[in-house]
Amino acid sequence: MDAVHLRNLSAAYGGQQVLGPLSLQIQPGERIGLVGRSGAGKSTLLNLLYDQVRDRAALVPQEQGLVQALSVFHNVYMGRLNHYSAWYNLLNLLWPQRRELAVIEPLLERLGIGKKRRSPVAQLSGGQKQRTAVARALFQNAPMLLADEPVSALDGPLAHVVMGFMTEAYDTSVVALHDIDLALAYTTRIVGIQDGQIALDAPSHTLSPADILPLY
Amino acid sequence: MLASPTVRVTLIVTVVGILCAFLGDLAITTVNPWQDLKDLFLGVVTPDFFSIDQVGVALLRTVAFAFVGVALGSLAGFLLSLVFGSRVIRIGCAFVRAIHELFWALIFLQFFGFHPLTGVLAIAIPYAGIFAKVYSEILEENDPTPERVLPEGTGRLARFLYARIPDALPHLVTYTSYRLECGLRSSAILGFVGLPTLGFYLESSFSQGYYSEVGAILILFYVLIATLRHWARPRLIPAYLVAAPFFLGDGLPIVWGNVSRFFTQDIVPAPIRDGDGLGALGDWLTQLLLNEALPGIWNTLLLTQIALVCTGLVTLIAFPLISRHFGNRVSRGGGHVLLVIARSTPEYMLAYILLQLWGPSMLPAVVALALHNGGIIGHLIGRRSNEIQLRPDAPSGFNRYSYELIPRVYPPFLAFLFYRWEIIMRETAILGILGIHTLGFYVDSAIQEIRFDRAILLILVTALLNIAIDVTSRRVRRYLRLQTRVTCEGH
Amino acid sequence: MLKTFRRAFVLSLILVMPAFADTFVFTAIPDADETRLKERFQSVADYLDSKLDVDVRYIPVKSYAAAVSAFRNNQVQLAWFGGLSGVRARALVPGSEAIAQGKEDQAFETYFIAHDSTGLKPSDDFPMDIKGNTFTFGSKGSTSGRLMPEYHIREAFNAAPEEVFERVGFSGNHSRTIRLVEAGTYQVGAVNFKVWEKEVASGDVNTDDVQVIWKTPTYPDYQWTIRGDADQRFGDGFTDRVRQALLSMSDPALLEKFPRSAFVPASNADYEPIRNTAEKIGIID
Repeated sequence: MDAVHLRNLSAAYGGQQVLGPLSLQIQPGERIGLVGRSGAGKSTLLNLLYDQVRDRAALVPQEQGLVQALSVFHNVYMGRLNHYSAWYNLLNLLWPQRRELAVIEPLLERLGIGKKRRSPVAQLSGGQKQRTAVARALFQNAPMLLADEPVSALDGPLAHVVMGFMTEAYDTSVVALHDIDLALAYTTRIVGIQDGQIALDAPSHTLSPADILPLY
Repeated sequence: MLASPTVRVTLIVTVVGILCAFLGDLAITTVNPWQDLKDLFLGVVTPDFFSIDQVGVALLRTVAFAFVGVALGSLAGFLLSLVFGSRVIRIGCAFVRAIHELFWALIFLQFFGFHPLTGVLAIAIPYAGIFAKVYSEILEENDPTPERVLPEGTGRLARFLYARIPDALPHLVTYTSYRLECGLRSSAILGFVGLPTLGFYLESSFSQGYYSEVGAILILFYVLIATLRHWARPRLIPAYLVAAPFFLGDGLPIVWGNVSRFFTQDIVPAPIRDGDGLGALGDWLTQLLLNEALPGIWNTLLLTQIALVCTGLVTLIAFPLISRHFGNRVSRGGGHVLLVIARSTPEYMLAYILLQLWGPSMLPAVVALALHNGGIIGHLIGRRSNEIQLRPDAPSGFNRYSYELIPRVYPPFLAFLFYRWEIIMRETAILGILGIHTLGFYVDSAIQEIRFDRAILLILVTALLNIAIDVTSRRVRRYLRLQTRVTCEGH
Repeated sequence: MLKTFRRAFVLSLILVMPAFADTFVFTAIPDADETRLKERFQSVADYLDSKLDVDVRYIPVKSYAAAVSAFRNNQVQLAWFGGLSGVRARALVPGSEAIAQGKEDQAFETYFIAHDSTGLKPSDDFPMDIKGNTFTFGSKGSTSGRLMPEYHIREAFNAAPEEVFERVGFSGNHSRTIRLVEAGTYQVGAVNFKVWEKEVASGDVNTDDVQVIWKTPTYPDYQWTIRGDADQRFGDGFTDRVRQALLSMSDPALLEKFPRSAFVPASNADYEPIRNTAEKIGIID
């Protein structure tokens, strides 16, 4: 994967500048943690980023993007709809294919939602939904991962399981996190956003929680 | 209080309605209106199910026409909803749904004659326009994020089947089954213009004053609608759909020459057909517009506005009948029965009955429209009020109604009322066939005189008026920031 | 299963092809009690079926215009029309001809009837005092229920009915006109004299509430009209055989259905006066 260069990113809502203009470079192998107060522009930045790198990124949006009426299995499978013909997709919708189950089942087991494979997403708890969305991104196996608060609904140990899994699966990622400890533990670089601008950009190992706290 | 847009709009609509009531003709002209009403009531409680040998067949035909018409309409509407972004499609759909089923039936009767296709298309075409609009609204209100996160390069079909349909499906199914109920009403009504459904026999028996036969037909119709959810189970629907075409009856064969004649001769304005030149066409148009279209539009608008206000009144009186914040289980049960009867009786049938009883004026039409539409909105608002949690020490009785409930249900109430504005107008126009001088009266006269050029032009005028109301209603709803829920039951 | 498929196949054929089953179909304008149309004309269909060598079928229609359209569209080949609907139909189907009329139709009448509460009394001259009452015609396309009464109203008042009366309605058919005036829904009405006499004779009218106040001068009315292409389709001389079958109808039970005492020959020319009148009041071009 090539490096991603983003220049002059900016966004406005109703005439009000909410982000940028700012520039950002992402090198292959970099795992970036986006931190900052809620409303600072993290989600906006991630979405702008996604528009630029759609062809090589998997996205876990804050609102998860799950189809409530479909099962967990189908929602995860949707990560690879582009790999197969329309007929195979249709067949798999009506009759889940063994080949896909064989890949997706272990993934769900590891995330702790293996038993929910057949359940419609609408019946899941908030944490289970979040893991389904992560599973979809993992299954998609794109060159790069963009995730917006992917573990916000998960408590302690589970958050670590999921973050660890994502780190293992994706070398290159941009993950928005409000938990400073998680951000420092699982990323190589921290980008802090304040009032729509980059207020902090440094390798994670050089930072301590106290360096980040002023952003909040 | 006057500063609130909701209050201002309410006041304007009410004042306009009252003015219209002064201008309109609302007299009871019958010498003894209550005698016939009593006879009708006696007839309904002493129904005679055996005097009309054809009634079983008519019931079957009513169901068959409804199923085939709604199925075709829903299929076509679904396909159209996929391309509803196109302006041409949107305008086309607005146009076909602005023309009432009965007008479509009257048009098709002229060239398909008594072939089943006449009834099927009369339902399917306007329904396709409605389905296209509502389906596309439902699909649009879907959460867009699942589509956004799909990997790049996902095919259109897969994108549609996985990301859009599943979450919209329950809404699509709910709306379609609601439409099936409407389809049964439409199908029954088509009998009034000669198709072999229940309306055919209802009209005949009523005009002769055979009230026990009328009672039997009405009761059969209510039972059919009230038990819909028991016999029209999702699993059985495919079987019904396969069977329905075989129960439409044979009718008479289509003569295709009639179709081309209708389009190349019948509907061409007479002066052009006879080669009288543009001057004559101008006169013809002016005469038609001045003597028929304008009075028709005037009466249609008067009646629509009066009916709109009365519908609102009926709704506000009716919804507490089924609201859990008032009365007890028994009274609410009774309220449900009343509202079911009010909303399952097609307004056309109701207006027909009241016209016979009270004589020719706008009054029977107003009452019919207000009862039917008030029944529908009252039901929706009553259900909405049941979702409201009142604090334990909330006042009771009229104070509860005026302080606790009305302020909360008023916005959805206005939304539904304006939603039905366009529907009330469409019905108002069609009631003209019964003798009230709205646009339908002039359309019917032209058809009775075999002057289809005039009939088509007047139908076009009706459609345009309907679209104008639709646009106004949307503007008002946007001004008031009113939204209805995705199921669009107000339709 | 196979049967279902065959049925579906036949049905789709019906849907896409102009099937010409060689059934001779006729209809009649729904001029009175519509609940009894089928039983009224089914016996006529059976009679014709026995006299002609083709299958004969009767279909009921809901309006005068529907009868004319069905005739014009060749979905029916023979019809029992009123004077005006016959004129309209023959103008639309070149070559079609009136072949028989009822004996009474040579000198038909319209009765003006009034509700007792109006205080209107029978008279020989046109009753000018009906002005200002409510008034109902029969069907919009009826000769005796609309054309002739409207003509006489316009002659008498030199104004359109809407200007003469407080309210003008179209009841739809003659028996309903009687019902409506009897109930007082309308104060005055115009009705086909044969329907009136039949209903009075069978005791269906309460003559205390409603009575005849004026009888129009006579005019030609109902007739059987057949399409010009009937011979071509059903064989040479078919029109004559139909005419013969109608003229020789002598069973009182059958004639009672119309109700007429006998059928006599008729021609298109007999109905010129009707066409002229209709043109005069502007309901045909």
